[in-house]
Amino acid sequence: MSGDPKAQLRRLLHLIPLVADGESHPIGEVAATVGVSRDTLLADLQTVSERFDTPAGFVDGVSIEVTDRAVTVLTSQLLRPMRLTMRELCALELGLGMLRRERTPQEQAPIDAALAVLQAAIAATPASPEAERQLVAAELDAAGREAYLEAIRGALRDRRKLRLRYRSGSSTETTERTICPYSLMFSSGMWYVVAICDGQDGLRIFRLDRIEGAERTDEPYEVPPGFSPDAVLDGGRVFWNPSPATLTVRYSPRIARWIAEREGAEPDADGSLTLEHPLADERWAVRHVLQYGPDAEVLAPASVRAAVRRALDHIAGA
Amino acid sequence: MPKSPKIQRWIDLISALLSRHYPVTFTELARDVPAYLADGSVARGQPSTAVKRMFERDKLDLRELGIPIETTGDDGSEESAYRLRPGDFYLPYIAVVSPRGTTQPRKIGKYGYRSLGQLALDADALLAVAEAASRVRQLGNPVLAADAESAMRKLAFDLPVGAASAPDDTYLVPPRARAGAAALQALGDALFRHKRVTFTYRSMSANTTTEREVEPYGLFFLNGHWYLAARDCEKDHVLNFRVSRIDGVRVNDRRPGTADYQIPASFDLREHARSRHPWELGDGAPVEATVRFAGDSGAVAAASALGRPLPDADDDRRAFSVRRLDAFARWLLSFAGDAVPVAPAELVEEFRRQASGTRALYARGGAA
Repeated sequence: MSGDPKAQLRRLLHLIPLVADGESHPIGEVAATVGVSRDTLLADLQTVSERFDTPAGFVDGVSIEVTDRAVTVLTSQLLRPMRLTMRELCALELGLGMLRRERTPQEQAPIDAALAVLQAAIAATPASPEAERQLVAAELDAAGREAYLEAIRGALRDRRKLRLRYRSGSSTETTERTICPYSLMFSSGMWYVVAICDGQDGLRIFRLDRIEGAERTDEPYEVPPGFSPDAVLDGGRVFWNPSPATLTVRYSPRIARWIAEREGAEPDADGSLTLEHPLADERWAVRHVLQYGPDAEVLAPASVRAAVRRALDHIAGA
Repeated sequence: MPKSPKIQRWIDLISALLSRHYPVTFTELARDVPAYLADGSVARGQPSTAVKRMFERDKLDLRELGIPIETTGDDGSEESAYRLRPGDFYLPYIAVVSPRGTTQPRKIGKYGYRSLGQLALDADALLAVAEAASRVRQLGNPVLAADAESAMRKLAFDLPVGAASAPDDTYLVPPRARAGAAALQALGDALFRHKRVTFTYRSMSANTTTEREVEPYGLFFLNGHWYLAARDCEKDHVLNFRVSRIDGVRVNDRRPGTADYQIPASFDLREHARSRHPWELGDGAPVEATVRFAGDSGAVAAASALGRPLPDADDDRRAFSVRRLDAFARWLLSFAGDAVPVAPAELVEEFRRQASGTRALYARGGAA
């Protein structure tokens, strides 16, 4: 995209204030600072440094000398970056808006202060009316548990263990445990804490809407250097299952195309879709298929099939 | 003589405008922009139509880039004067406030820079800005990511934004079916310029792919997916299009500097984009439903918390506003008998129908 003049101008307006001191700056360092490749930077600089006209008038232009190793810029203009554009403000406002929805009332003040400064730093142009700031929206629902998110974030940031009260999807009792959070993840509308339980091996995943208490301790811990969030990702979902067990489900042609899109699969010739899911918890499997009613059927294992049948018998007798 | 690249002309024009203390006419300004002198018409005192058109186009492009060139009088007339105030163009100085004192940015003692204002951020606000940029980068939208990146580069001129970055322990997990970068780029561009777009859309409910012409009202990120809220020109209705199901976006290229439509003032994107459960969707009037929760597993407790307590009922009954009874009945079914509808009768009947239809699948005994 080095040939797009608008993109080039944006890059040059970032670049010139950084190097316009008449000194020689190594091309590689400048490219890294501006966040572009060496070739793009050279192409941008050559476009403005090779002039075929005679600089006119008494106004100081921008003098640029480029070799294959260094760049020297001399000018009395463009020594500071330009103000934020409305679109740049929109982008950061969107991010601050997302933070706002995740945070407790006590954590709002820095967001307000940041927003006030950013809004004071924009360049207002006739092409960017105030209303444009409403063009993009995003939020990560904290399910009313912003206080727990605050405790988790603080524990993660300071690497301090967390005392957690948690009731799993299949358990009828709330348990207390001390965890070492490794990461906080948002997937398919839900926040998850990926952690290990103190003194135990193996990762655990905790859904925010099932946390009933979170309290930071003073006890430090380390996240292993080899940990990667990819370890708990399965096809765009947060999932950890060291067991090889699988659940086979047939989805009817009525809903198969939605499932196929979500799972990145192709429906069968009759329009239905049969998929194997990792199976960690039988109760999860029962809930998973029942949410689709008669449009999903467990094919295997027999134990889950029997569990679904028992659940339906229970409903019929209720 | 080869033609000067547009980028040279723009930088010359910006420099010429910034160096003036007062508004100047095009003829005065053109003397400092070599490309405007190339055909000799400015020197003769009669700027050619081609040169004037070039200047008009340049102003339009630069304003689109956020450069606030002011016009005194009507754009394009002989008497009009133009100005770019340094205080409107350059980023104000930004200081960092900490308990140990204020870190002042490096100031420039030349004309145009001395009079720039100063803003101040404390460490917590700076961290919020860095975290906000990090969130935006993870949304999978290259237009927004580039805008956030560009803003952070500007702020980095005065602020230690790298040092303020929080440890990268929060992740937004992208879905398997991601929105294409090119579609997001084109839709974002159309949205900000209010240009009409056409594309092909794969409708999942109708299982068809059709050509659509729409006026984009907003882009929103919900449950991991990007959606375009837009007025469908044929249906004359605001619809949501999942961007990953959009192909072949074409932005109206006629009159690029002019908006094709206005977004109604009554349109509220945040309200429009509010997360809803499947049973809350639809245009019909909501029905009040009562559900009895029997179990106390984590899943049941979380589901129960979505409803409203009933003042005259047992603690385990909750009220819900429901637009789609079928979707609500299926959701209740997933709790395997621990969440049972009590009212209205149509919901109870729908729940029984779904349960009975599902049970029939398993009456066959072994798997198919």
